[in-house]
Amino acid sequence: MTEDKIKNLLQQADKAGGGIAPVEVNVSAIRRRARRKNIINFIAPLSAAAVLMVALSILGVVFRTTEPTQEERKIALLETQIKQLQIRTDAALSLIQEVLEDEQKQHRLDELKAQLASIPDPLEEVRQQVDKTAFILVYEADRLYNELNQTDSAVENYNRVIKLFPENRWAKVARQRLSEIEKRKTNQTI
Amino acid sequence: MAEKNDDELLVEQFHRGDESAFERIVKQYSADIAILTNRLLGWPGDVEDVTQDIFLAAYLGLKKFRCECSLKSWLFTITINKCRSSRYKRRLRLRRFSQEINRFSFSSDSDGKHIDTDEFRHVRRAVAALPAKYREPVVLRYLQEIGTDEISRILGITTNTLNVRLSRARKRLRDDLVEIIGL
Repeated sequence: MTEDKIKNLLQQADKAGGGIAPVEVNVSAIRRRARRKNIINFIAPLSAAAVLMVALSILGVVFRTTEPTQEERKIALLETQIKQLQIRTDAALSLIQEVLEDEQKQHRLDELKAQLASIPDPLEEVRQQVDKTAFILVYEADRLYNELNQTDSAVENYNRVIKLFPENRWAKVARQRLSEIEKRKTNQTI
Repeated sequence: MAEKNDDELLVEQFHRGDESAFERIVKQYSADIAILTNRLLGWPGDVEDVTQDIFLAAYLGLKKFRCECSLKSWLFTITINKCRSSRYKRRLRLRRFSQEINRFSFSSDSDGKHIDTDEFRHVRRAVAALPAKYREPVVLRYLQEIGTDEISRILGITTNTLNVRLSRARKRLRDDLVEIIGL
């Protein structure tokens, strides 16, 4: 009910508001304005781009020709110092690398020397073996002479030691034993 | 349906480059557009400039119009948008010259061109004073007598939103016009 009342009231008020001035829509003017607007819409971005390009080129020229400011100079100096510092750091790093490599090489060399030192001397071994053989021969000869009274076999063994190992200390012992046997033989004949 | 077919035919002719189709569209709808503009702008009486702008926008946009809604609804949507911007511009102008608000805002009433009673002037002022989101549905529903579905299409809002806005607009009008309505 209220809605209808409001509607009626609004319609009456609208009618009472009187008509509107006769509207003459000028189609040719609309076409002219539309053409102008289309042209503007086409040209505006191009002009903006052109202005921007000109502005950028001007800025480029200005920046190229102007003297660097004090701050720019400071920045350039700092950049140079940083570059130099970087070069020095690189050199120091490569030096450290070399030293470390040398140390590693030295360490490896020491290890190899220790390994080499741990290997027994073959000449010494041969010498010991010779000494042992000569001793056994002398020992056998002593046993043949003293315990079994086989003087000839004992003399033969002593001579073999003197012949085979003349420089050995047991060759000297063998010579002493032979001289002792000779002395005893002469004493027995006398 | 026949009207819609005529509209589609006119739009198709315009798309094909027949400029006379636009003249026929103007002839067919200029009166309706002018009346709606007059109501939306608060009955200023002279709406020729705004109507001209509306048809300029229609001319520029008609190439992209694909008849997804009726031509009349589309023109009404343009009208709504143009009236909003026109009112906004006028408000900016009036704010700059605030001392002259009363003289400018209802110039048609003050110049004595129309014979009007105080009551109806009060009603029109109440409608004109409504915010756009309430004024537009009121004008379209009660003065243009357009269906709610079409109004929601024109304004780009749902039917529920439209009903809520209409209800709130009625409440405001009732509060403003309590002496006249007598409720």
